[in-house]
Amino acid sequence: MSIMSYNGGSVVAMVGKNCVAIASDLRLGSQALTVATDFQKIFPVTDRIFLGLPGLATDVLTLKERFRFRVNMYTIKEEREIEPETFAHLVSSTLYERRFGPYFVEPVIAGLGKDNKPFIAATDLIGCLTLPKDFAVSGTASDKMFGVAEGLWEPDLEPEDLFETISQTLMNAVDRDAYSGWGAIVHVITPDKVITRTLKSRMD
Amino acid sequence: MFATRSEYDRGVNTFSPEGRLFQVEYAIEAIKLGSTAVGIRTPAGVVLGVEKRVQSPLLEASSIEKIMEIDSHLACAMSGLTADARTMIDHARVTAQNHAFTYNENIKVESVTQAVCDLALRFGESMDNEEAMMSRPFGVAFLIAGTDELGPQLYHTDPSGTFVRYEAKAIGSGSEAAQAELQDKYHKQMTLAEAQSLTLKVLKQVMEEKLDQHNVQLAQVTPETGFEILSEDKLKEVIEAM
Amino acid sequence: MSPSAQAPIRHDFNPYTENGGTILAIAGADFAVIAGDTRQSEGYNIQTRYAPKVFRLTDKAVLAVNGFAADGNMFVKKVKQRLEWYRHAHAKDMPLHAIARLIQTMLYAKRFFPYYVYNILGGIEEDGTGAVYSFDPVGSYEREACRAAGAAQSLVQPFLDNQIYFKNQQAAPGSPHPAHLPLNQVLALVTDSFTSATERHIEVGDGLEIYIVLAKGRNSNELESLKGVAEVTTASEAIATGERLFVLRRELKKD
Repeated sequence: MSIMSYNGGSVVAMVGKNCVAIASDLRLGSQALTVATDFQKIFPVTDRIFLGLPGLATDVLTLKERFRFRVNMYTIKEEREIEPETFAHLVSSTLYERRFGPYFVEPVIAGLGKDNKPFIAATDLIGCLTLPKDFAVSGTASDKMFGVAEGLWEPDLEPEDLFETISQTLMNAVDRDAYSGWGAIVHVITPDKVITRTLKSRMD
Repeated sequence: MFATRSEYDRGVNTFSPEGRLFQVEYAIEAIKLGSTAVGIRTPAGVVLGVEKRVQSPLLEASSIEKIMEIDSHLACAMSGLTADARTMIDHARVTAQNHAFTYNENIKVESVTQAVCDLALRFGESMDNEEAMMSRPFGVAFLIAGTDELGPQLYHTDPSGTFVRYEAKAIGSGSEAAQAELQDKYHKQMTLAEAQSLTLKVLKQVMEEKLDQHNVQLAQVTPETGFEILSEDKLKEVIEAM
Repeated sequence: MSPSAQAPIRHDFNPYTENGGTILAIAGADFAVIAGDTRQSEGYNIQTRYAPKVFRLTDKAVLAVNGFAADGNMFVKKVKQRLEWYRHAHAKDMPLHAIARLIQTMLYAKRFFPYYVYNILGGIEEDGTGAVYSFDPVGSYEREACRAAGAAQSLVQPFLDNQIYFKNQQAAPGSPHPAHLPLNQVLALVTDSFTSATERHIEVGDGLEIYIVLAKGRNSNELESLKGVAEVTTASEAIATGERLFVLRRELKKD
């Protein structure tokens, strides 16, 4: 049994027109046993950047605190908010520090950069960055999300359409995944606000 | 006459110089000693009727079984050595069940008839992988009634393994007279009730005893309800309505 | 140490290989669509870019087979043989639901040395409705409206759940979700499913073969206008049984 799927969980991020979205399920499991249905895997980094951390729950909690610390240090030292690209490299190097004893998480990053440029990124558990133009998936339902997203996603979606696309992608994927599901949360980051919605979904 | 036959009527698998299998022919003769059985096909279903020879007042007439179910959509009436029929009907039942198991559909009437006839000529072979051989032809003829996607059908089989489809057919001791009567009275658009009535009329004509609900048996196979043996009460109604 | 004193070397033989690819079938009200890609691979090697996985069984039944190609081809051969025997014994083509049961018994007969294949059977039922039956390698089966199997099953099936069964979609008041989609929409979904799977799965690609079975008397208007469609049934076969079978071939990316 892979340690990456010990607790289960999935995250997806998508690019829209002047907006990005990031969504996750809410399940925390202990292998086949569901332990909690309100487990957050997505964390705000700044007002315009969110970080999704699917993987081993203990590392999710540890890393979220480590990133909070490192982003705070960056903000204080640089006297400015961190840019999404910079944060992605911070994630990458933080994970690579543990090259031979890694954290078992595969993060997804979504945010708006300068001039409200949409940015998404994903890394593997040792920090290898990928910067997709369309969408990034991670977690136990990643292959399912790849399939649905590849069929549903299109360029230049407005915030509401992006919300629908990412929600459908996540829900239909996690419904076919025993390790993900039990509710979902979606954040759509637009230039002037962040829309956060929790979704009613299958609870089985 | 006996001189010419004696050499060749011994071996069941030996042709006579004229190209005949005497044992098979004798088996067919045995049918003509059996009780009469009648079958009539109508567009609404097939009716089978048999006479039960109640030889003694002490005999339980209800224990004589000459119409049997093969599957819920298949029935058969027999004449001749009814003990031989056990083996053959068992074979038919297994064939029908195997078909349903493998294909999830009812076996066709012709197919189950073919299966019975395949067995008819297997004498001389050991059966069911056992040492024991069936050493002679089966001395029984069948009227196989059933419904499938082609509608209600009636087949006749004999000990030679030949089968033919009939609209109406009589077998057994009274078959000649009965068949003549069927030919006279049968018409294609009969109702099921008419067929029941005609079956009994034909049996009545060829039976030595007076026909009643104890010494005949009627059965029918319809697309709607499949195989049914008519109860003695129902039989009595039909007899009275004749 | 002399060579003869060395410890014996154990050589294992694995009778199974996984040859990749994906298959998919969708049932309509009066048609069925059965599709598969044509890439055959072993590990990271492409053995051929054209190895059909979808086979015509009768005028109204099409079988898609995915998994270990050698087992798949042998299985199709044996099913076809059984269909021929059935024709001889019963003087008719085997109906679709009977083929489904036959496949179950054939698969279960090898319960302890299974055919390493996932089967999807599509076609027209005796009542004229489109039908899809899906099987596991040892014969457990089910009639469904749609099913994907093979390497990209996990990519395609949730997409189909969403687009065919309208999972996680709320119907507008007064207009419930349709039980069956029209043919042109089904063909669009099949093509999209395979282009998506090709994009994200290395074992899927090269070519796409879509078989379309039309029930007796159904018009073929949607197909006439499509490029790359060929009728498989001959004119005399179409007259004899009524069902018509078409194949639609499309290119998929080869990388």
